[in-house]
Amino acid sequence: MRIYGYLAKKVGDLTIKYSNFPESYVKKSYEQVYWKTPAGYPQYKKAQVARKKYRFTTNRPWTGQFRQQNEPGTLRKKVFLEPIRDWTFFRGDRVEVMVGKDKGKQGIVSQVIQERNWVIVEGLNTHLRVVGKDKNFPGITIQSEAPLLVTSDVKLVDPESLKATDVEWRYTEEGDKVRVSLASSRIIPIPKTAEETIDYKSKELYIDNIEKDTTADAATKITFAPKLRTFEMDIMEEMGIKEDRVPAKSYWY
Amino acid sequence: MSKIPILINNFCKRNISVTATREGKRNFRKFVIPNKRGSVLHKKKQMTEDREFEIDKRGVRDIGYNLNGRLVIVPEMIPEIIVPNLKDFDLKPYVSYKAADVIQSEFTPSQLFDAVYSKKIVTDFKQGKLDEEGNPIEPSEEESLKPEEAIIRAKQTGSDIF
Repeated sequence: MRIYGYLAKKVGDLTIKYSNFPESYVKKSYEQVYWKTPAGYPQYKKAQVARKKYRFTTNRPWTGQFRQQNEPGTLRKKVFLEPIRDWTFFRGDRVEVMVGKDKGKQGIVSQVIQERNWVIVEGLNTHLRVVGKDKNFPGITIQSEAPLLVTSDVKLVDPESLKATDVEWRYTEEGDKVRVSLASSRIIPIPKTAEETIDYKSKELYIDNIEKDTTADAATKITFAPKLRTFEMDIMEEMGIKEDRVPAKSYWY
Repeated sequence: MSKIPILINNFCKRNISVTATREGKRNFRKFVIPNKRGSVLHKKKQMTEDREFEIDKRGVRDIGYNLNGRLVIVPEMIPEIIVPNLKDFDLKPYVSYKAADVIQSEFTPSQLFDAVYSKKIVTDFKQGKLDEEGNPIEPSEEESLKPEEAIIRAKQTGSDIF
């Protein structure tokens, strides 16, 4: 029960990778800490009273909509998730829908929500919703996709036979971990769109911000020369600060 | 005689306590009373010498010492932030995503020793300038540095961590 609780409440790796945020920032953005023991007092152990159960949705955890859906005091029914050890679905994967009115159709994954074992396929499993309906305005009808469960509703498609197959992670002779379709033992490569994030489509296509981004050459340049000086002594020599006074002897207890 | 057991039933309701006595103790461990908290009497007492708790400086270090109830400021204790000139400085606040991950091993003290002393030790050994114990006959400036002198040099910067 405890391990399940630990596994279930973490935000998925793919979500953090997609956001380009450090994990600590993502955690801070959605956590609701009600009370903490005072810091700086060694007699009080570090402890906090915080919310543990969140309802993860199609809105990402750092968004305002997520915060609204998980306002302090809202209690939602428990969502039963199957904990998946090796995640097999990525953005840009070709996938076949197995349930619903789009059963049998194939589409490309546009969003992956690991916290609910969800995958949103482009254009499939859709429903219509009316936005902005007023007394005077009829509203705009939007076709939006509903999420599909990775374990039961959706299957990866074999790249050559274009049929739905079950997939396993196996190691190649070189030692790479790859997805292998069980029906035909063909390798299903991870699509290039999987490395897309909010900031870039792929790392090579990223355009540097001249004012704030260090270039790759400057970042990897080696400027360190070992010297027998402490950090402060090195700086004093660089800046030309001379100090002749000798400090009085002091002791640490 | 028949009335006495009735009287006992009506007001003789004392029990013997079997649990441990609390003795008025309540668990007040969780209450921290920092500077602005507490009653007026408590705060007045905190201002005098016989205060109950130490004054919480909240991580700010004093720039002097207490003499006769007054603070004597020591200019050396005022931190001076030395910032070099950042003109033509290549490193910016963020790193481009195109930069490859730099994986560096830790620079250990033994590696620093090798970088500073090893060359001279090897040349001295080859030229025969080491005596029986292995100490150099003509020590360089770094080799003749004593530990006390090194600590003094490190402390002259004003840092107190040594």
